[in-house]
Amino acid sequence: MATGNGRTSGSAVFAQGVGKCYQLYDKPIHRLYDMLLPGKKRYREFWAVRNVYLDVPHGSTVGIIGQNGAGKSTLLKLLTGISRPTTGEVRVEGRVASLLELGAGFHPEFSGRENIFLNCSLLGMSEAEIEERFPRIVEFSELGDFIDRPVKTYSSGMYVRLGFSVAASVDPDILIIDEALSVGDEHFKGKCTNRLNEFQEQGKTTIFVSHDMGAVKTMCQWVALMDAGEIVEQGTSEKVADEYLKRSKARGNERLSALNRGSSEYPRWGSGEVEVTEVTLLDPAGEPTHVARSRDAFAIRVRYRAHQDCVEPVFGFGLYRSDGTYVNGSNHRWREQPIELRDLVAGEEGEVTMSAPSLQLLQGQYYVTTFLYDHSKAAPTAIDHREHALTFEVLDAEHLQHGMLFLPSRWTVRRTLPGRPDPVVEDSEA
Amino acid sequence: MLALTRSLWQNRRLLRDFVRRDLKARYVGSSMGFFWSVIFPIVNLAVYMFVFRLILKMRFSDSASPGDVAIWMLAGITVWAAFAETVSRTTNTLVENTNLIQKVVFPSEVLPAYLCISSLINMLIGLPIVLLGVWWFAYGPGSNFETETASLALQAAESRPRDQTLGFGAPMLLLPVLMALQALLTVGLGYLLSTLNVFLRDTYHLVGVFITVWMFATPIFYPERMVRWDYKPALDRFEPGQYAWILDVNPMHWLIKSYRDVLIFADWPDPLMLGKFALVALAVFALGTSFFQAQKARFPDLL
Repeated sequence: MATGNGRTSGSAVFAQGVGKCYQLYDKPIHRLYDMLLPGKKRYREFWAVRNVYLDVPHGSTVGIIGQNGAGKSTLLKLLTGISRPTTGEVRVEGRVASLLELGAGFHPEFSGRENIFLNCSLLGMSEAEIEERFPRIVEFSELGDFIDRPVKTYSSGMYVRLGFSVAASVDPDILIIDEALSVGDEHFKGKCTNRLNEFQEQGKTTIFVSHDMGAVKTMCQWVALMDAGEIVEQGTSEKVADEYLKRSKARGNERLSALNRGSSEYPRWGSGEVEVTEVTLLDPAGEPTHVARSRDAFAIRVRYRAHQDCVEPVFGFGLYRSDGTYVNGSNHRWREQPIELRDLVAGEEGEVTMSAPSLQLLQGQYYVTTFLYDHSKAAPTAIDHREHALTFEVLDAEHLQHGMLFLPSRWTVRRTLPGRPDPVVEDSEA
Repeated sequence: MLALTRSLWQNRRLLRDFVRRDLKARYVGSSMGFFWSVIFPIVNLAVYMFVFRLILKMRFSDSASPGDVAIWMLAGITVWAAFAETVSRTTNTLVENTNLIQKVVFPSEVLPAYLCISSLINMLIGLPIVLLGVWWFAYGPGSNFETETASLALQAAESRPRDQTLGFGAPMLLLPVLMALQALLTVGLGYLLSTLNVFLRDTYHLVGVFITVWMFATPIFYPERMVRWDYKPALDRFEPGQYAWILDVNPMHWLIKSYRDVLIFADWPDPLMLGKFALVALAVFALGTSFFQAQKARFPDLL
């Protein structure tokens, strides 16, 4: 049950008006001057977290998402009590275990065994308690003989295994996880997910931090979105996802326009009678963009200018994923109703657009290569071939499917129950 | 001060684990193990004896036996080494353990304390060598080497009008008191300097230099008499030394002198001197801990 453990009221974590201001000094000695001779301020203020209100009820699983630098980690430090807020108050009820970063809270010279004891006693466990849980922790971590080696010799995967094993086995009331799970192998990730599910079923509280909406969505009912130190939206994951997409889109556009300005460094070749002057991705409203939403309408448009006459040019597009996987390629001729483009004259200008009602790509970064080939010969030759002409990002908040492509599909479950002649059929169109 | 002491008590298990771990690290990885805490002061002693007695031909007195001087020096070196090591290690300890302080809720007051305890234990391991030497020259095979003159020689070295002979006796019971006072001073300095080092990393390097200067300002390798009195050949008599004031403002001199009284001369230390040291140790402890306590909450942000 969601509110097990006999707790029916109150919050596991409650933060009100919380802000954290760092004092940035140009030189470390200025900090000392300020301490000894108060008066003149020699620092700049930086508010990493500002005016945060967060109420996490017992037994809930809450996600905090935001871009890098949005203040997530600082907020977590405030919630765990490592660092103290400059303004406001944080109230936490119960034992908190946190997994803030790879290898955080480990002493590199200590062995895995010693670090387990160190961490457990920091969490306030008694010797007997630690002794009792020790075998379970070691078993869960699968570290085997490595448990007696200093943790500085561990691989990053081993760090995560040890860290998670300790945090999950100490039986905390509140577990705070900061993206650490993304490092382990699939097998261990599965174990962690199971452990987290058990944890939720026991009515414990989990706070999960990530910059990946998808990861947060599968785990959390309630999501808080952070941006520039503030929680800009909180609510059900569906509600927050929209705002998240809007912001990612704006940020992605900014980042990718910069990236695209540098696209001239990719190869481009051809005879040059006709030049592709502009390659644009258009959003459903027909506006240029660099960020598209999965399953939205989209279009790719090129503008051209003919410098000389050209007999039989053909425009085409190739879509690639950022790792170079060829996803799709087509042109205006390979169609049931082909467009035959003939006899372009010198000085002519125009545009060619490919549009689709639904972008079937899933989350990731992709790029477009444009082809302009002369098909008047037996083997087509390049007129203007532009590799990597446009980079764009696909956002998918719904995460209905995994992988690269969205397959419009229908699911059917047919059950034959004992004693009933007709099968029970359940059908899902989308 | 009280809050900090209470917190150390609450975290005594953690403290114990850290001390145990540190002692293990000192000895487990090395093939000579515990011998290192004995060998290190002895090698130091041999070097200083060589330099001061054989090269510089420094005279402790007319008839001091080399063995007696060695014991006298060794007692000083052992105490000083524990003090110096702790002060320089604690200065950097907060910076070194950034990972713990910044990433988990960690009682950082444990760090200077465990280093101090660990080096005191290490010192205790080295002390039996000193005591063995005392036994050798006072009661064992070395005693027929004219103990009388030897101890008289040392007496001159100490420039004290009291009768001092090597030996064991009831004053040794004061050893725990001396160690407790030493711990108070050391850990107090540790809290002060480690906090300062968080603000200004140069502290660590400054401390290194300062410790060397301090060591030579303390009568460890040379007799106190040589600072206290200046021989004026023209007048053929001793005048108060020009730098005698250094001895009067150097708490480590008071401490080491008391240790020597207790450990090798079976004598009660000068209560006034010990009292002064206790006051200084308490004051440094109070200052260090309150500075540390006041800044502690900021450590995760500053490191």
